[in-house]
Amino acid sequence: MRARSAFFAGAGSVAIIAIGWQAGVGTLVSSLPTSAPAASGTTASAGTAAGTTTAGNSAGAGTTGTTSNTSTSPSAAAPAAPAAPATGTVADGTYNGQTINTRFGTVQVNAVISGGVITDVVAVKLTDQGRQSVNISNQAAPMIRQEVLSAQSAKVSNIGGATYTTQGYLMSLQSALDAAGFTG
Amino acid sequence: MTTIDATRIKRQHTSRLRRGDLLSTLVYFSVAIVLAIFLADGGAAYFTNIRDLATGVGIVTGLIGSDLLLVMLLLAARIPFIDRTFGHDTALAQHRKLGKPVLYLILAHMVLLLIGYGISAGLNPIAEAIDMFFNMEHLWMAFIGMALMILVVVTSLVIVRKKLAYQFWYLVHLLSYGAVLAALPHQFSAGMLFADGTWARYYWMAFYVITLAAITIFRVIIPVALSLKHSLVVSEVRVEAPGVVSITMTGRRLNELKGKGGQFINWRFWAPKLWWVSHPFSLSAAPDGKSLRITVRDLGDTSHRLLTIPTGTKVSFEGPYGIFSESARTTTKAVFIGAGVGITPIRAMLEDPKLKANDATVILRGTTEQEVFLWQETYDLCVAKHASLRVLVGKRPPGVATWLSAEAYSSGERLSTLAPDIKHSDVFICGPMQWTDLVVRDAKRAGVPDRQIHAERFEF
Repeated sequence: MRARSAFFAGAGSVAIIAIGWQAGVGTLVSSLPTSAPAASGTTASAGTAAGTTTAGNSAGAGTTGTTSNTSTSPSAAAPAAPAAPATGTVADGTYNGQTINTRFGTVQVNAVISGGVITDVVAVKLTDQGRQSVNISNQAAPMIRQEVLSAQSAKVSNIGGATYTTQGYLMSLQSALDAAGFTG
Repeated sequence: MTTIDATRIKRQHTSRLRRGDLLSTLVYFSVAIVLAIFLADGGAAYFTNIRDLATGVGIVTGLIGSDLLLVMLLLAARIPFIDRTFGHDTALAQHRKLGKPVLYLILAHMVLLLIGYGISAGLNPIAEAIDMFFNMEHLWMAFIGMALMILVVVTSLVIVRKKLAYQFWYLVHLLSYGAVLAALPHQFSAGMLFADGTWARYYWMAFYVITLAAITIFRVIIPVALSLKHSLVVSEVRVEAPGVVSITMTGRRLNELKGKGGQFINWRFWAPKLWWVSHPFSLSAAPDGKSLRITVRDLGDTSHRLLTIPTGTKVSFEGPYGIFSESARTTTKAVFIGAGVGITPIRAMLEDPKLKANDATVILRGTTEQEVFLWQETYDLCVAKHASLRVLVGKRPPGVATWLSAEAYSSGERLSTLAPDIKHSDVFICGPMQWTDLVVRDAKRAGVPDRQIHAERFEF
């Protein structure tokens, strides 16, 4: 290869990798504190967001992440929906995510959307193959759920040591959000 | 006239270089893209904790390995753009060069993921492999693909070393397509990078589809279509010397066949005990639009049957391939050095109308006078083109690593005395493997830049 072309090939390759890196970092930092103000800023109504988040939190706190009651939270948050004009196009309800195959079993979650915000994520099925899978799932799922609820997105960081659970969880969640037409 | 020719050759050479750089750049980009896909999916997270490290590296090696595997297949797909740029032999040499690294990358992919997944599952790598084989979707196919791939690379290396039959090598290589296809499903099901709905999935699918389509089109459909279109038949078999014949073939619409003197074609003669093996032979005359001619020497394998091939035998072919032809030139001057049947492509190139008078020096070698094949024709062409011609007959001197005859060597002849302007010439060399290597060595010593050396080797 001639020097100029070699330089172009090298620089171009570095640029491509950098773009990929940037896109990846985007998914990693979205749940870090820096993005929290941005999330609340873009939400149409801080009151709604706060109200629904607490509703989701209380449901999550009351039970485990996988068994939180979904039927009550949408109805509880429903009156607040008209107050969120920007995101009001997403219909309230529970949206089923796709079943994702991972090395340690299938993962499927449902997204509960109410008043234009994600109020809960219900894990229907988590990774359960392999000796430690169930432990890992039980530890990681509530953490991922918490991150998703505060970021209002499936693009949140990986939970170290639970990469497969996280990936399956988030991919299933994203498919549910896509089905709902939820764009954040 | 000369300046016009010089400009044309320079332009042709620059465009070849540019195409070569473009293709190499695309290869680098393809590697960068798979890395970007990995990183865009948050792949960096694998490197933030020690437990996922093996898995992260395993995924990366798998991605780069399969990317380069597709590059290998494209290099061997006889894509005209690639062949015209690098030449058939260079493309295949690159293909071979990638073979071992690709195997190692994919082996590392398997081993590291067995370790990485094993750590996460609390299993040792062997138990993990068994578990994966039976419990993970499509993984059993991937394991079979891996086994086939090891078989292909190992037998290729053994075959090259021990010179096993070409047909056996060919059959083994067909298995590599099996390996590629068997490994395909797990990349889309177990590999979450290419999960449903991601743009990476469509990129990866497109890469595979383009590669497999290129192989089908250029290695199967076009050769079959051209063979049917031209429907070649052997029209004349002429004995040139003991054990050497020229086979002339005629066919329909041969004026439409794009081929240059010096290129080679893979021939298949539909005669008993010959039809199941294809032979690569150079054209020994530039295609004249009505017939094609090859000159064949009995090399001890099935080629001895060609000496007695009946006229009227149907012939199918793949090609023409290679840039051991006018297309490879970088300067206006050319030196042709051939030995034995290696003279035949040189004889065909001399016929090229683009080769101008006074441009060429021709050096021919033969152990005996009878082995300077196509002597009369070559002599006539050299006279017509005003090319200077040197013929060196006789055995090589014992104990000296030289390509010259003993007589020429002892009288002090060297490459620089035979072709004084060789430094500024394109050097086309065709002959047996070791002999060719010696000529290439001498050309380099005489100061000929690599880009001006064009060698075609054949094996006995």
